[in-house]
Amino acid sequence: MVFPTLDFILFFAVVLSLALWIGRDERRAALRKGVLIAASYTFYAAWDARFLLLMAGVSALAWGAGLWVRDARRGRRVLVVALALMLLTLGVFKYFNFFFLSLQQLLGDSALARDLAWMRVILPVGISFYIFQAISYLLDIRRGKIAPRHNPIDVFLYISFFPQLVAGPIVRAADFLPQIDRPAMVDATMRGAAVLLILTGLFKKMVVANYLSVLLVDPVFAFPDLQGRAEALLAVVGYGVQIYCDFSGYSDIAIGVALLMGYRFKRNFNQPYRARGLSDFWRRWHISLSTWIRDYLYIPLGGNAGGALRQIRTVMITMTLAGLWHGAGWNFLIWGLLHGAGLVAERGMARLRMLKPLAILSAPLTLVFVLALWIPFRAADWQGSTAIIAAMGRTNGPASVEISTAVLALVAIGLAMNWLPMRWRDAAEARLIRFPPLVQALCLALGTVICFALAQDGVAPFIYFQF
Amino acid sequence: MQRNIVFLATLWGALGLSWLLSGERFLDLMFAMPDLGKIDDLVLEVVIQAEDAKDALGAPDLFGALRAALHRITGLG
Repeated sequence: MVFPTLDFILFFAVVLSLALWIGRDERRAALRKGVLIAASYTFYAAWDARFLLLMAGVSALAWGAGLWVRDARRGRRVLVVALALMLLTLGVFKYFNFFFLSLQQLLGDSALARDLAWMRVILPVGISFYIFQAISYLLDIRRGKIAPRHNPIDVFLYISFFPQLVAGPIVRAADFLPQIDRPAMVDATMRGAAVLLILTGLFKKMVVANYLSVLLVDPVFAFPDLQGRAEALLAVVGYGVQIYCDFSGYSDIAIGVALLMGYRFKRNFNQPYRARGLSDFWRRWHISLSTWIRDYLYIPLGGNAGGALRQIRTVMITMTLAGLWHGAGWNFLIWGLLHGAGLVAERGMARLRMLKPLAILSAPLTLVFVLALWIPFRAADWQGSTAIIAAMGRTNGPASVEISTAVLALVAIGLAMNWLPMRWRDAAEARLIRFPPLVQALCLALGTVICFALAQDGVAPFIYFQF
Repeated sequence: MQRNIVFLATLWGALGLSWLLSGERFLDLMFAMPDLGKIDDLVLEVVIQAEDAKDALGAPDLFGALRAALHRITGLG
């Protein structure tokens, strides 16, 4: 079930009605949690019911291990075993195909390679998001940041809550669990903010991201040898806009949907393409993953401690793993490595006080660097990346994709969303908050109808579902 | 709470109106959903009756017209 579909609207209308009806009553906390878990498992079953057991297993493991990880004698051992099991699960589902494909290529055209061709593992949607949440739950208990939950229902709900289940944002237990203990109250501020988030999310995904994908990015990346400089350059910028609108659109809808039910999630994107430097970019892009990596990977690996060489090693390991988190592929490895190298170079320049003279160029240079690195990220393989770069050297391609005014407008709109002053957005939100509930609902309904009317036929999955 | 009821009721009303004034058939969705046994039969019965009533009413497909107009104006679609 994808957010911008009639299926989800019907599903959410029923769940929202139930959540608001039951949610306000303090005595019905167990019923409220039960309904939300049932809704979340139904939502996930719409993808593939076979993997419900896997999610339930991870939740049960997190709950059970959570009760023990602070134990003085066995806590450390329990934590290591639980984390190993979770990472092993993630590794098998996420990386088995890559290693298997590599082995098959190594075996060439042999009979063994053909015999092994049937072995494929299906990637369960959202697996890395809910496993990351389970890991952060255990580590936060171990570090004394939160208390373990004795009621398994709480942990099951934290890990499966449907708005953030399949593509984040990665919610921390410390932020979420206190919210499920109290009645879910929704006020005008939450409704107004939710309406704006859902509508901007729908517009970003259904209009900007989907059309750019079909009209520009997919055809150019599918046939790079036929393109010229303008098409290749525009497709790279277009992909930057597409992935931003696709993913931040999903996050906006997820945060808005949760808000309407009375639950607050933190912002996941903050105009990333106006970043002044790569460190700044990672503070603005997929914030819930960036902070997760910082807290559970970068800092435990050493963080900013130690000498220059040790810091370089920590940054490179962290960014390489961040790249590989997106999937087992050389393109993601290269993407992560180059981002790591960029961060190291930025730190080195800052130490040598070379950044100050470049301050005026920091935003455009960061944008160009980030957009350029989307090439290996988007291209299927190394040849695809080099073909796009080669196309940038040609004035004209033999059969270029037609660049219409609509495509140029979509790219401009996508970039503008990163550069328009935030106070404009805040003013629109403040106005929506002041509206009576009837007008707020009409705005949401009318905006949704317009987005659906503007959209193309069919359902386009979100890019980050595959991660 | 009363404000949330107004908000919800308006959303449900808007959803019903959108369905009435569009060519969208909820029946198609019902067949795509998992079989819930007796509940499914009840929901199907209600949806079939509602779709029949909608057909008898002969409501125009305003959503289709809006869609065509927007696609024509923007050059998308």
